[in-house]
Amino acid sequence: MRWLPAGRYVVGNSLLHRLDARAKIICLLFLLAIVIGTASVGSYVLALSAIGMIILLSQLPLRHVFGNVGRLWLFLGTIFLMNALFFDSENALCSWWIFHLSISGIKQGFSLVVNVLLVIILSNVLTLTTSPNEITTALESLIKPLRLLGVPTEDVAMIISVAIQFIPTLMEETEAIKMAQIARGARFESKKLRERALSFMPLVVPIFLSAFRRADELSLAMEARGYRNATNRTKRKKEPFVWQDYMALSACGALCLIQFLVLR
Amino acid sequence: MRITIENLSYTYDRRGRGRFDETIEVNALQGVSCTIESGDFVGIMGQTGCGKTTLIQLIAGLLTPTAGRICLDGQDINDRSYDRNVLRQAIGVVFQYPEQQLFAATVENDVAFGLKYSGLSANAIDERVKWALETMGFDFSKVRKQSPLALSGGEKRRVAIAGVLAVQPKIIIFDEPIAGLDPYGRQDFLELVAKLNDNGTTIIMISHNMNALAKYTKHLLVLEDGRLIMAGETRAVFLSLNNDLQVRGIRRAITEPQHVAALIAKHRKCQCQDSFRDDVVTYDDLISALKGYLLGVGGGGSA
Repeated sequence: MRWLPAGRYVVGNSLLHRLDARAKIICLLFLLAIVIGTASVGSYVLALSAIGMIILLSQLPLRHVFGNVGRLWLFLGTIFLMNALFFDSENALCSWWIFHLSISGIKQGFSLVVNVLLVIILSNVLTLTTSPNEITTALESLIKPLRLLGVPTEDVAMIISVAIQFIPTLMEETEAIKMAQIARGARFESKKLRERALSFMPLVVPIFLSAFRRADELSLAMEARGYRNATNRTKRKKEPFVWQDYMALSACGALCLIQFLVLR
Repeated sequence: MRITIENLSYTYDRRGRGRFDETIEVNALQGVSCTIESGDFVGIMGQTGCGKTTLIQLIAGLLTPTAGRICLDGQDINDRSYDRNVLRQAIGVVFQYPEQQLFAATVENDVAFGLKYSGLSANAIDERVKWALETMGFDFSKVRKQSPLALSGGEKRRVAIAGVLAVQPKIIIFDEPIAGLDPYGRQDFLELVAKLNDNGTTIIMISHNMNALAKYTKHLLVLEDGRLIMAGETRAVFLSLNNDLQVRGIRRAITEPQHVAALIAKHRKCQCQDSFRDDVVTYDDLISALKGYLLGVGGGGSA
């Protein structure tokens, strides 16, 4: 379990944890729009305070919320430099070869980096407060309109949720097979790239085989239990929106309107 | 090679089960000490989750102990100076469902996988592969170029075991090797393991099959909740387990012949205050006890 990526679900009972996942996803879209629509100082104040509020409401420790952003320094640094050096060649502070450092470029780069960070933090908060299952169920109902275009939305949702549920199982299996191969004398720490790639064959082949076998078994088991197609399935639990969900939606929607109509 | 286990403990963290990723420490093994002599046939028994698999993974050097030592011929295998290659050649491990570890394009290559770093010549490797496959009951010329994945389940398992045998380790560890085998497959397999043991290989076998443990092993280790609660000569351990169950009423796994003997003894006690032989462990014991019992009953029928 040790190499699960950051941003995974953390059990909790905050307001954000309790909100309906569908509402959270729509709110996330509103908030992303707010972040992308930042133009003036006022709009940044709005976006930052909204996000700060959300982090407070989530009751998550900050190290979880920021999670893995530290690992993106190269990406963020490149974005910043590209903007700072190429954005404005007319009013450059200083120029060298093809590079033109400019105030407007630095501003642009800085705001882009902040925007990317905020987007990452927002999506972290969603995945930290919502279990993968809740997210797939929510997506299933949110993409329902696509059915009119002939997209088998329920099947898509079923595929995603099955895939997510198999991650821990496959990881456990990988550990077991890795141990078995090490016991047989396999070495996974070779320095040479080619040798290293080849040394993973004893791991990759059995894992693929077992994934296919499991998929076969699961599809048989599902069929044996009467699964035909997902289209006509009914939900065991129907959870309508409650007032908190409507509150969250209207708050985010209102902020979005302010951002685009007032502060721009 | 002699295995000495001193005060072995293993604790692992189960992460993220609580709020905010609190880690919960799980004591998989606590203070296990024992010695396994060269040429021994040791059975490990205990309920699911009692730490059997962890113990063998530690012995094979696949996990690092939290505390305590495991020594092979007096040398700590977790010592930095210990050569892992020596360990891999000395100890072979057959995990549960070993057929899942097959990956090569041909049976031959898969069996030869463990010999890659053995320093043997190509001819010697071929000889070893041939020997291992024939020991596992295959026709070498017929099976060598086949894909291991096209074989039946039982054949796959035998190929996987051949892959471990080919290295000719001095110690072979089996983790529930007979689970899922049919009765004849089980018997053939156990006879083969007994033969390996007769030829001097130390065998360590985890099993839930009490009859097999009673019949084939020389010594037994009984684990419960990560602790070694009993260790010793197989017969003595089973008699003591039986005593726990029959006299002290503690739930213990015992062999089928022991259950039968206990039933007869219970029935007999009601009739004539004379108990049935109380040292039955294997089917052979039960048969000889029953012979004596039936003859005794027949002889003194009027008593």
